[in-house]
Amino acid sequence: MVDLPTLQPFFADKLELLAEILGRYPEYGRRSALMPLLWEVQRAERHVSEARIEEIAEIIGVTATEAKGVMSFYSTYHEQPVGRYHLQVCRTLSCALAGGDELYAHVCERTGLVNGETDAEGRFSIQNVECLGSCGTAPVLQVNDAFYERVTRSGVDALLEAMRRDELPPPTRERGGDNASAAKAERQTTPADPTDAGGAA
Amino acid sequence: MSTVAESSRPITSRFDPRFEVTLYRYVGVEGAHTLDAYRAHGGYAAATKALTERTPAQVIDEVKASGLRGRGGAGFPTGLKWSFMPPPDGGQRFIVCNADESEPGSFKDRYLLEDDPHQVIEGMLIAGYAIQATLGVLYVRGEYYRAYERLQAAIDEARAAGVLGTGVLGTGVDFDLILHRGAGAYICGEETALMNSFEGLRANPRLKPPFPAQAGVYGRPTTINNVESFASVVHIIDKGAAWYAAMGTDDSKGTKLYQVSGPVHRPGVYELPMGASFRELIYDLAGGPTEPAKAFIPGGSSTPMLPWTDANLDLPMDYASMAKAGTMLGTGGVIVIPESKCIVDAMYNLVRFYAHESCGKCTPCREGVSTWLPKMFQKLLAGLGTCEDLSLMEEMVRHLRGTAFCPLADACAMPVAASFQHFRSEYEHLVDTGTPLHPRTSRWVA
Ligand SMILES: Cc1cc2nc3c(=O)[nH]c(=O)nc-3n(C[C@H](O)[C@H](O)[C@H](O)COP(=O)(O)O)c2cc1C
Ligand code: SF4
Ligand code: FES
Repeated sequence: MVDLPTLQPFFADKLELLAEILGRYPEYGRRSALMPLLWEVQRAERHVSEARIEEIAEIIGVTATEAKGVMSFYSTYHEQPVGRYHLQVCRTLSCALAGGDELYAHVCERTGLVNGETDAEGRFSIQNVECLGSCGTAPVLQVNDAFYERVTRSGVDALLEAMRRDELPPPTRERGGDNASAAKAERQTTPADPTDAGGAA
Repeated sequence: MSTVAESSRPITSRFDPRFEVTLYRYVGVEGAHTLDAYRAHGGYAAATKALTERTPAQVIDEVKASGLRGRGGAGFPTGLKWSFMPPPDGGQRFIVCNADESEPGSFKDRYLLEDDPHQVIEGMLIAGYAIQATLGVLYVRGEYYRAYERLQAAIDEARAAGVLGTGVLGTGVDFDLILHRGAGAYICGEETALMNSFEGLRANPRLKPPFPAQAGVYGRPTTINNVESFASVVHIIDKGAAWYAAMGTDDSKGTKLYQVSGPVHRPGVYELPMGASFRELIYDLAGGPTEPAKAFIPGGSSTPMLPWTDANLDLPMDYASMAKAGTMLGTGGVIVIPESKCIVDAMYNLVRFYAHESCGKCTPCREGVSTWLPKMFQKLLAGLGTCEDLSLMEEMVRHLRGTAFCPLADACAMPVAASFQHFRSEYEHLVDTGTPLHPRTSRWVA
């Protein structure tokens, strides 16, 4: 018999994490753990390989084919490794109206990649995605799990440069918590500005 | 006024004294997502009131009396939905929060989840008590990672403080939450597809009946509502049904979160009493279009567009008025379409979305939405379309109506039909000349 190379099971040294994930769901609903287990593997390895699918399938008690069928339903689980910086460009209508298509073309040009590709170094990969729920701050680029909103040409170039140095700048978030102090300051300076979100038509 | 200053303006109408803002009061406020901050402004008082001073039936009656209609898109009366739950049989029952928000043009739930997660949890706790469910499922779309982290932290805090778990808030009521993360599929927003997804199955919609109240999550009685619906419940219990029902119009009560995107000065989320006009939203709050506009999508990509006329801009944003105008309120996500954008191109963008998101389960949608419609649009946009193609497309969307397994196919067909109804001339121009009436221009301004 030939010795096959053995792969250490992903969860072999993560039994606590595994127990925590399985413990989130009722005993009779163990199958629900499929998606979170896929997420764990993908976060660590940037894709979910056949071997990992088989491992996960065995943990939750389904066949590998079933698990793969579920995984392939979703566009954010990857069978092939994506880059350390997975660039996801929204091109749905609100973003398209703010230049999403040009943003996509620009990112392709700067990285030399197109939709679905990963570079040889494993640094960048590109994916076309649909509406990210950030239409008010279009165009939007999602890098791994973070949103970069209302991206400009110079902004995206700086971002790509930073990632080439392996520095991921903090996500820009114009709305919500981060600009609250700015909003408050603005309110104090213009308490009754009729053109501020409230002018009569 | 510089556009930079305008674009950094707040996202809500919180700063406008004319409007009472409840759902979005603390969205955008630093640190508002923590339990301490939430409690500091009276958080969980409504849940305490519901659990200690009301019976489950009284909570349902209060929500019925408020007139709240579901904010996930269909506008189904929330209290009525809750009353469909069968009497408890001792088995597990579920309350589910639909935080899959993926309808193009919609982004209201995201900021609620990120900045005020406890408001959503409190709403789920009240709803869970009302329908006598001890377990809740919060299904959040995979791309909302910040929301996921904030929700996880909020749930942990709530458990540690006895707001979730056994005997919550010092009462005899048990309630806990399961946070579940999606992975990028619009169809997971459809309630039964969401349940399949949660159960670790492919997210194909289920046949109804049985409805979720009979057989939902793991086949157990289940009620599912939208994020904004749950947040609204908190204020209904807090201030009373009469207070809530005093806002809005005859068939549409309370306030609603509207969103504006596309070329306007201040895109964002605005909370308004129901029945406010598009003009108030688009001009007063969002600052009006930055360039001449010819149409707007009133409530997310699935709702038929309306031409940019005075009459349409003056339409009240409520369920009845939208139905009368031949469209829908949907999620309240308004997308402004400028004069300079080719309607055929805009429609193709959305058709491509639906084609990508079709789950492939049923033939009309798999063949019509996923395959033929995008092909026809591609042919038109390549300048190779004929008059017969236009008639064929119109016929196709007619046949799609009501023939598919779930509403996704309709959600694609209806907007396409509306684009033909209002802008057939742009389609014809493409056929006649081989080029769009409005050729593509650069839209990336910065
Ligand atoms: C294709 C499709 C996608 C949907 N997406 C969502 C969604 O992202 N969020 C949501 O709350 N409801 C969505 N819905 C509506 C839900 O099926 C369901 O009606 C809603 O969550 C009920 O909540 P409500 O009564 O509070 O509105 C979608 C429906 C369909 C057909
Ligand atoms: S209409 Fe489309 S999304 Fe809905 S079940 Fe059929 S194929 Fe799936
Ligand atoms: S269209 Fe790009 S985030 Fe909604």
